[in-house]
Order: sequence, then structure tokens, then C-alpha cells
Amino acid sequence: MPTPDPFRVFDPPALRRHRTRAAAAAGAGDFLFAASAERIAETLGEIKRRFPRALDLGSRGGLLARQLSGLDGIEHLIGADTVPAFAPDLVLEPEALPFAPGCFDLVVSNLLLHWTNDLPGALLQIRQILKPDGLFLAALFGGETLTELREALIEAEAEIENGASPRVSPFADARDLAGLLQRAGFALPVAESDRLEATYADAFGLMRDLRLMGETNATVERRRGFTRRTTLMRAAEIYRARHAGADGRIHARFEIITLTAWAPDAGQPKPLRPGSATTRLADALDTEERSSGNKPTP
Amino acid sequence: MPDTATDIDPRLLEILVCPLTKGPLSYDRTRHELLSAQAGLAYPVRDGIPIMLVDEARSLSDDEKAALAGKA
Repeated sequence: MPTPDPFRVFDPPALRRHRTRAAAAAGAGDFLFAASAERIAETLGEIKRRFPRALDLGSRGGLLARQLSGLDGIEHLIGADTVPAFAPDLVLEPEALPFAPGCFDLVVSNLLLHWTNDLPGALLQIRQILKPDGLFLAALFGGETLTELREALIEAEAEIENGASPRVSPFADARDLAGLLQRAGFALPVAESDRLEATYADAFGLMRDLRLMGETNATVERRRGFTRRTTLMRAAEIYRARHAGADGRIHARFEIITLTAWAPDAGQPKPLRPGSATTRLADALDTEERSSGNKPTP
Repeated sequence: MPDTATDIDPRLLEILVCPLTKGPLSYDRTRHELLSAQAGLAYPVRDGIPIMLVDEARSLSDDEKAALAGKA
């Protein structure tokens, strides 16, 4: 048996199968992707800037591209995805980008990068294919996504099968992501978190929707084959007991993190070095400077 | 008029590199493949869509590698 590689959490061929299946569902599970695409388009609309050449990383059949078509700053948008069924222009993996350095003014990505094994590596490559002062704008599912389902499945499995395996893919949180952007050499990184809630008749309805989205578990360590029916039934019971509203429908939470960051450029604003001030704060406030009295004793 | 349905957009072709080595690619229009001499791989182009995945690429034969080296 091969030793599992701790840095390979996700299984790209499994993800590609899930996305191909989602493409066949023709948008039936797209409501989260549409909401997130709208948010990206809104953010981009507020940035008064021209982006002659742009890349859409995770095109999903042009879902975000249709939202962006009303903006006049983008002249040429290349649509890429991990599967042909979703790719208008080319197929790629975000961890091995096939583009020359400095060739894009903008890289957008709608809910794909949370599936990346080597996210720091992918971010570094995205920075490299951007021109100086180019913009990276992306949405990813964050750490609070599907916590209810995760808990219910783990508890049900522990109760019935005396063990637990990863059921819902792990996600990063907003603070981790801002740090990763900085380490990848981006300037002015911002990570913002939005929470969306959906209701379903039961946990089976939620899981059916996740399949339509192509967002079911694609971790390497996931359990192969079918989960026992009794385990799923118990998980649905636990879910309903804890997260059902007055109408009996269950609630599912999704966290979407929107990232904006710029490829560094000399003209960008930078924080001043400490001690480089040329005027006194006391003068600016028109007051007298007083010692706080907490001077260290020699 | 070029056959736009089965040919790569020239604006895309000019910025594509090998995903593995980031080296240059040469486009074989008759076989619908993008060849990376450095990686020794041929990436398929299906219906005008380049499939830039290392696990879908074909390994080049020694003759093909020599032919590519001769052209460079």
C-alpha cells in the first residue's frame, strides 16, 4: 500500500469526475456559484481600471464571464477549467498554470481554489502570470462551510461504525488566506467573509445538491464505496434534531471568502517605515506633548 | 477563413507555455498537439481546446524529441 502523502489532501481526478457530472446537470446546483459570481462582478465593477487581458480560473461554463460581460474594462477574457465540459478556452490544473510570466492584467476565480492541494504554490503562480499592478480576485469556500453536515456525519459514523473518516473537505479561513497571499508576494491583500444559508427538506436533499454542484468530498482519504444506509439515516436524524427550523426544514451554512490582492508595483501605496515621520503628532493635534510617565528606569 | 471551431485562438496560443517546465511549446496543427521539448510531452488539443494536464499528455518518442531539437 502506498504511503499517503500528507500534502496531497485532494484527489484531482475525483474532482474532475465531480465537475464533469456537475456540467451534465446544466446549472441545477449553481445558486451558490451564481451568488458568488455576482459578488465578484460587483467588486470588480467598483474598481475603475482597464483589464485588457483577463483569465477566468474555474470558468464553470462561463458562469462568471456572463456576469462580467457588462463591464467595459475587460477586452479579452480567457476561460479555463479543470474539465473540458466546463472550459470555453482551455483545460488546466491551478497548481500547474500553462501561461508565460506577466501576461494577464486580471485573474478571477469563482469557487475553485478551495480544492487546491498546494494553495501557496498556486497563488505564487497566479502572482507570476500577472503583470505588475495586476489584480487577483477570487472566491473560495471558507472554514464555516457545511459544519453542520460534517458534525452530523462524524457523529453518526462514530456511533454506528465505531470510527470516523473525513466526509466533508477541509477549508481554509479568511485569516489564513490573507497570510498566504502575502507570502505569495501579493501587495494589499484583503480577505472578506460572507455567510449564506440555504434550507433543505432533509440532509439527503443537501447531499443531492452538493452532487449537482460537483462539490462532494474529493479528499484522498475519503471512504471508497457506499456508506452504510443506517449511518446516513442516523446522520440525517442528528442534523434534523439540531438544525431544523420551525417549518421542519434543515439549515445549511456556507461561508464564501472573497480575496483581492495586487501583483506588486513600485507605484502602489506602502506603509511608511517606523520613525520616518517629519512632523510631530502633538503639532498635528495642536496639543502639548507629554510623557506617559512609563519610561523604563535605567 | 481559418477553421475557428477546431483551431486554438491565436491570442491564447501566444501566451501558452508548458505547465510542467514553463518552457515554450510548438503547435503541431496536423496532429492537434502542443509539444514541449523540455518536458518531452505532447498536450492534446481537442475541438480547439488545449488540454494542459500533465496526466493527459503523451510522452514524445526519441525521434520526435530529436526533430524538435533540430527545429529549435
